[in-house]
Amino acid sequence: MKTNDVILQFTAKIVFFIIFFYAVHIFFAGHYTPGGGFVGGLVTSCAIVLLIIAFDLKKVQSILPINYIYLVATGLIVALGTATFSMIAGKPFFTHSFDYFNLPILGKTSLHTAALFDFGVYLVVVGVTMTIIQTIGEDE
Amino acid sequence: MSFQILLNLFLAFLWMFLSSNYSVSRFIIGYLLGLLAILAMRRFFNSRLYIDRVWAIIKLVVLFIKELILANISVLVLVLKPKLEMQPAFFKYNTELTEEWEITLLSSLITLTPGTVVVHVSNDSKSLFIHVIDSNDIDATIDSIRNSFEKAILEVSRT
Repeated sequence: MKTNDVILQFTAKIVFFIIFFYAVHIFFAGHYTPGGGFVGGLVTSCAIVLLIIAFDLKKVQSILPINYIYLVATGLIVALGTATFSMIAGKPFFTHSFDYFNLPILGKTSLHTAALFDFGVYLVVVGVTMTIIQTIGEDE
Repeated sequence: MSFQILLNLFLAFLWMFLSSNYSVSRFIIGYLLGLLAILAMRRFFNSRLYIDRVWAIIKLVVLFIKELILANISVLVLVLKPKLEMQPAFFKYNTELTEEWEITLLSSLITLTPGTVVVHVSNDSKSLFIHVIDSNDIDATIDSIRNSFEKAILEVSRT
């Protein structure tokens, strides 16, 4: 018997955005305060898993048509690219650099290449978590 | 409704550009002036003023806080009674609400006020199945839901 999940589905639609925003916040907070790419990726996966619980796997795959294995590969490329970029500049592998830039809206901001490496970690964590959950969920 | 909000924001930005002073206080002044203009020109719009809806939402929040306190006191009285005279029961409540968010909001309000819990929504979303802690006054419960929460939610969603 199919029950009517109107309350769960409506709440999941709204709460998904709140969790996703929190994940983005925790990702950018990682440099000076607790947080970072790993936690941000896990929280993002939690938001997608909430959608999968409220709706079903096929519907969520049609909403977010992402191949998560490619996402893992992209994340690894981003992380490795950040690490090898310093070799081109003649510094040892994994040397990070940072500088202060005057951006048009944000004003004086410190941009650090570690954030790019963290973004790679974020993509890998989201991809791996979602791949595991989807392959288990697809088993009939 | 959304057109009025956009118009009000546009007027606020216009005020900011006219006075060429880009600060939050200017924006707020412009917003209030735009609100006055929209109030004056209310006959042009074929839907309700959005400020009415904001007022209805504030009223709903106040009503919810009041009901929460009252219902918790009544449950406290039930718990502290030496004799258990209550008769738990399920009943079906036919609602007039149609939208998803309205049903979700009504169910949450019913569940958060103690004594009643929504356990199921029917497949056509036309009736809620509610568990009530004391079935001696089911009619009073139905009346109170219909006349307080449902009326307030309908007041918010009326175009």
